[in-house]
Amino acid sequence: MIGSAERGLRRQGLKYALALRLAVVGVASLGSFVESAPRPVVAISVVVLLNVWNVLYATTMVRGPDRARYWLVPVDVAVTCALAVTQLWTASAEGGAAGTNWVLAAVGITIVSYSWQIGPAGLAAATVVVVPALLAGSALARPGDWLSSVPLQLWLVMEVVLSFAIYRFVRRAARAADRQVERGELVRRQAAVAASRRVDEREYLAALHDTASATLLMVGAGIAGGRQQWLADQAARDLEVIGGPSIVSSREADLIPMLRDVGRLTPLRVHLDLPETLRMPATTAVLLCHGTREALTNVVRHAGVGEATVTARPDGDLVSVEVVDHGVGFDPQRLPRHRYGLTRSLVERMDRAGGQAEVHSRPGHGTRVRLSCPRRPTELAGDDTEVFGSVFLTGLRWAVVVMNLVILTCLDLPKLIANLDIYPQVWPQFLAWGGFVAVTIGVALRIHRGGDLGRWRWALIALVFALSAVATAAIPPEHRLGTVHWSEGDAGWTLVLLLLDVRVPVFVGVLVAQYVMTFAHAALGGDSALPVTSLVSATVIVLGYQFAVGLIAAVLRRLASSSARAARAEEQVRTEEAVAEQLHRDRVERYAGLADTTVPLLRGLASGTLDPGAEDTRRRCAVEAAKMRRLLAEDATAPDPLLHELRACIELAERNGVSVSFAEAGVRPVIPREVRRVLTEPAIAALATARGRVRLTVAGADGTVTVSVIADCPPQAVPVPNTDQIATSTMLDGDRLWIQATWQGGRG
Amino acid sequence: MTTVVVVDDHPAVVAGVRAWCMLADPPIEVLDSGANVGVAWLTPGDQAQVVILDLQLDVTGPAYGDLKRLVDAGRQVVVYSMRADRETVLTCLDIGAFTYLTKSEGQDHLVAAVEAAATNTPYTPPVLSGAFGTDDRPHRPRLSPRESEVLLEWFHCESKDMVARRLNLTVRRVNACLERVRVKYANVGREAPTKAALVARAIQDGLVLADEL
Repeated sequence: MIGSAERGLRRQGLKYALALRLAVVGVASLGSFVESAPRPVVAISVVVLLNVWNVLYATTMVRGPDRARYWLVPVDVAVTCALAVTQLWTASAEGGAAGTNWVLAAVGITIVSYSWQIGPAGLAAATVVVVPALLAGSALARPGDWLSSVPLQLWLVMEVVLSFAIYRFVRRAARAADRQVERGELVRRQAAVAASRRVDEREYLAALHDTASATLLMVGAGIAGGRQQWLADQAARDLEVIGGPSIVSSREADLIPMLRDVGRLTPLRVHLDLPETLRMPATTAVLLCHGTREALTNVVRHAGVGEATVTARPDGDLVSVEVVDHGVGFDPQRLPRHRYGLTRSLVERMDRAGGQAEVHSRPGHGTRVRLSCPRRPTELAGDDTEVFGSVFLTGLRWAVVVMNLVILTCLDLPKLIANLDIYPQVWPQFLAWGGFVAVTIGVALRIHRGGDLGRWRWALIALVFALSAVATAAIPPEHRLGTVHWSEGDAGWTLVLLLLDVRVPVFVGVLVAQYVMTFAHAALGGDSALPVTSLVSATVIVLGYQFAVGLIAAVLRRLASSSARAARAEEQVRTEEAVAEQLHRDRVERYAGLADTTVPLLRGLASGTLDPGAEDTRRRCAVEAAKMRRLLAEDATAPDPLLHELRACIELAERNGVSVSFAEAGVRPVIPREVRRVLTEPAIAALATARGRVRLTVAGADGTVTVSVIADCPPQAVPVPNTDQIATSTMLDGDRLWIQATWQGGRG
Repeated sequence: MTTVVVVDDHPAVVAGVRAWCMLADPPIEVLDSGANVGVAWLTPGDQAQVVILDLQLDVTGPAYGDLKRLVDAGRQVVVYSMRADRETVLTCLDIGAFTYLTKSEGQDHLVAAVEAAATNTPYTPPVLSGAFGTDDRPHRPRLSPRESEVLLEWFHCESKDMVARRLNLTVRRVNACLERVRVKYANVGREAPTKAALVARAIQDGLVLADEL
């Protein structure tokens, strides 16, 4: 699945690539007037047609249907080739083969921006077609020395490759960011589902307790002497509750019972100071609970005391939870930075929910942890923007590092070496070149360690300016701004790398300042190597490309926040779906559990086909009520669920005047819930219908569990389940019925 | 007449035990009673044939030390406790208690257990039977499958008639099984004069053969 960041990147990347192309081609085509084209009329018509086509191309690309690309791109390639061939009439030959012209700049940006619009195969094909066309155009315009323009064409190919590399790097970063956010989402979703399930189950059981269980208990105890309307109505209402849809909204939960659970599961005496109820978004409630547990765990581990106080209260639009202990405390200032302790994990966790965590502590004065979260679901709390932003930036930085090294070694170094005899002194050139390489590698190491440039940024920028000035000064004035002057535009790339995460005006300002400095330097020295016209085209090509990278950085920053918003919105939808689906499944399962027993009884009572006064009905109701009692006692957190559930039923029986002698022996394996239900069924039925004394025993040995009950009760009232896992045997001794249910599934 | 001394810190328990002893046929004489084990060592308690000992006399945990000293002095001790966990039950037997009764078994078994202790006849009430039947410690005595079966059924149902019916045995054989298990337990673990006496008596009566142990 394509995540929000990658999707956003594809969409935004396309838009910005097209906008950049429009702008650069527009500026470059202005060059046709400066350059004094050989055939001005033709040149002007070509310029107008080209820009019209560009606008048409861009709008169709963005707004048109996807399949439009299949014809749009080939047509665009054809137009670009045609433009390349028109150099004869539209571009001045003044700059010579080594110089550039506006056509070259326009064609260059067109194919460079393809990498953000079409796949690698299309990009390769377009390049293979356009570059020879450009060569052909040069050959037509300057039949004498067209071969000397070959290096320039090759460099264009290189630019295409680099642009493609940037796109790939950034795209990979987008994918990585998506995966990272997805993992976070998965965890949050599972937590939300689990929380909602617990809440729903608790509410369902509470409802059961108040409805079906109460009705059946009443009938079982013989309160209704015969058929009565109110009883029938009650049974009908109970049926609705049992079969009804989920009671709990998947998004809301009550924080208080969840906090109680947290307090109970800590090996501390936890004093709770909580309101009756505190409803809030389920995910936030889970988060607060996790935070509270974390804080309590820290009390256990570090505070050296056995008790803590947990306070929760609504606080305006916030809900705050405080965990206070009077233990040894610590000095937050002196905590080692590398320790991923209480403070950091809590703060980060609360940040996610748009909340806050504060830790106050002093040695000898205990610790107070205060967590607060908004009570209402927040739209977005800055959340994943950081993740997206930093991953994007890292991707782009790597791309620029690679690109800059390629430019320095494959383009500038050959220029430098080829012109060694022209430089009066060679060392300033190598110093500047080596300096740029060193700065680039330094930045690369910094990214690798995951750090920020910090205050080094401005020192390094000053260094680049100084190196650029040194290199320019050491070039004979007549060669400045020409091929010999390799550092002229390319010093800018090192600056781009250093400026990637600053605001756009600063980026543009610093970059332009570098060019102005170099041009002024050259102008002061007198005649330079290139005519002004050629200089404009050359600068447009390089500077446009550098601006483009800065623009990408800015786009990615914006994209990060919109991606985070989109991711959060999608997450909310998916979480709600997951919660709803799971709750529905739980409901169906629970209803199935009651369908064969409770439901027919309630139906019979509601329709009047069962007489609540009849002995048999009363007995069946008593048994069902006891079974429901056991269901209500089902609690995953009870240390020994079997005994916990049996005790609930013993209590019920004792309230009905039955004297129960209970004993247990041995150790029991963990018994699955379904097995537990069947295993306890005879005992519960016997407890519900017995009179006088009941002996109830549980024995476990060798992975076998036996639940045995001896009671005075009618044999027909007690089920004798025999499944493939559970064997039940009965024996009647006078009035005493002895039933043993045995499960051997725990044998390992 | 059988004589006992009762060590229990709960007056209601002591009163109950006194009542059961008085109503027993023949009656059992309670020589003395008190909250402290001292009553069993001082006159007239030191003359009692059987000591009824509550394990939890204070918060420091089961009074194994007191039990040990009484056993080593050759006293017949019936442990009478709230605790029903296997660990405690088997530890007391290992130390050399004559038998172990939980408070809920008192009404049905205390008098019979005291009589058995006075005559040194093995006596296994249901909770003790359950502890034997589910014992999985490495140094436990070897029991036959039939013996394990009888132990567990007796634990579940409290009626030897029903156990016999269920397992198609005679009540005599059920009793014999329980007694043999008790003797096997007396023969393992820590040595104590009361345990040795129980084993000797069982061999004498032909309940077990010497080479069976």
